Amino acid sequence: MTAGSDRKLMLELKHVSLDYHSSKGTFDHGVHHVLNDVSFKLYENETLGIIGRNGVGKTTSLRIMADILAPTRGDIITRRGATASLLTLGLGFRPDLSGRDNAMLSAVLQGASEREAIGFLEEIKGFSELGDSFEEPVKTYSSGMRSRLGFTTALMTHVDILLIDEVLSVGDAQFKAKAEQAMKERICGEQTVVFVSHSDSQVQNLCDRVIWLDKGSIAAQGDPETVIAQYRESIRTQTRANKKRLADVSTDLKA
Amino acid sequence: MTVSQYFRLINIHARMLLKVDANTFKLGFLWWFLEPLMWVGVFYVVFNLILDSRKGGDFMVFLTCGKFAFIWFSKTVIQASGSIVASKGLVGKINIPKSVWPMSAIQESLYRQSSVYLLLFVILAFFGIYPDITWLWLVPVLFVMYLMIVAVGLAGAYMVCVVRDFQKFITLGMTFLLFTSGIFWDVRDVGSEEKTQFLLAINPLAFMLDAHRQILMHDTAPAVLHLLLIGVGASILIGLMLLLMRRYNHYLALKVIT
Repeated sequence: MTAGSDRKLMLELKHVSLDYHSSKGTFDHGVHHVLNDVSFKLYENETLGIIGRNGVGKTTSLRIMADILAPTRGDIITRRGATASLLTLGLGFRPDLSGRDNAMLSAVLQGASEREAIGFLEEIKGFSELGDSFEEPVKTYSSGMRSRLGFTTALMTHVDILLIDEVLSVGDAQFKAKAEQAMKERICGEQTVVFVSHSDSQVQNLCDRVIWLDKGSIAAQGDPETVIAQYRESIRTQTRANKKRLADVSTDLKA
Repeated sequence: MTVSQYFRLINIHARMLLKVDANTFKLGFLWWFLEPLMWVGVFYVVFNLILDSRKGGDFMVFLTCGKFAFIWFSKTVIQASGSIVASKGLVGKINIPKSVWPMSAIQESLYRQSSVYLLLFVILAFFGIYPDITWLWLVPVLFVMYLMIVAVGLAGAYMVCVVRDFQKFITLGMTFLLFTSGIFWDVRDVGSEEKTQFLLAINPLAFMLDAHRQILMHDTAPAVLHLLLIGVGASILIGLMLLLMRRYNHYLALKVIT
């Protein structure tokens, strides 16, 4: 599954920037720049990973691809008729409703009809391993149980472009492995995926191509091994610089 | 999203909200009836027993008709206005028309209110007021009332998204309407006919509450042209708000998320 110009284009971001006015007015006279001139292409059946530190615009990119947000500047070109859906954990949990009702609501919100959603419910109950707790209110769930319900509900969605935001960091080790396996099966099939994760190993295992976002811009893109190595090196350099700065401050304080 | 999908989603979401409402409190759905009854009780104690301004069972019926209808309007508009902002988590994860949130809140309230109106009819029967052919006028009155709630609820939800501070104004506005719409005083008993007509003309809610009383207590049909005008005005506002929400779908999402 390698990307190339001979493959069919599913989605393209052209010079996309996103700014918003911060209510506190702390950034650049109240304007917060989340994405700055980001361009990339997504091809059919490819799995594209997006890595980067917190707050660099990874989730915002996914939201733009899912048509939840519109860019301030630039264009999004999506193949005609292609559907995209953003999968995140805890979609629409109402704590006073049972796991079953929440799963039903999530499925309907993601476009399933009531009958289709009812059809999914037993599958969701089985995969999430919630047992009788599936009928209990979600407010009684542990965080692991919530994650399992969220992941399983998200897994049931069927769209052309799957945008995945950190959904694999769920539950205990056993469920995590099962979730990763299920996601792998999905990705290896005829599915176009954009995958955001903080786990380098997950990105390396699952993705054909990786984009490294830094401060709202693309710092590097290409094959997973090279980009992840560059990203790790930048983190090491930054950590060393931070340590040096800390050491300088403490020396100054002692003096 | 097709129109049928849109209404299906609103219906399912509203049913779930009803469940949430019933599961949140110990007394569950009994609160749907208790809350309006308690309001009527409070007003009765203040205006009948303490201030001694009105007398007898008539005042109880008068209060019940006005307050039950007003609660439908005020609670729904407050709920609908905050609904998009309250669904912040979902708004950032899924792209569905923003009007789904206020419309679900309005629909939930409609389902709840239908049982509250049944209670109203029971109370009226208790005071010796029984259904009459004139009561059929309730159908257009309730329909226009629903249109008014949708219009104001959608407008409120839009404004709260853009500037959160509007939520404060909406709550304050409902208190203002509580005092100015003739709930515990009679809009037809303000000294002069001109003043009555003026109050009914500038406040559509006062007209709607009065229409309830005219039908249920006096077997009189409401002013049809006035009712029609309110219905048309509300429909235009609904159309406008739906257009605005559609046009600024992404902008509203950004405002809610950030």
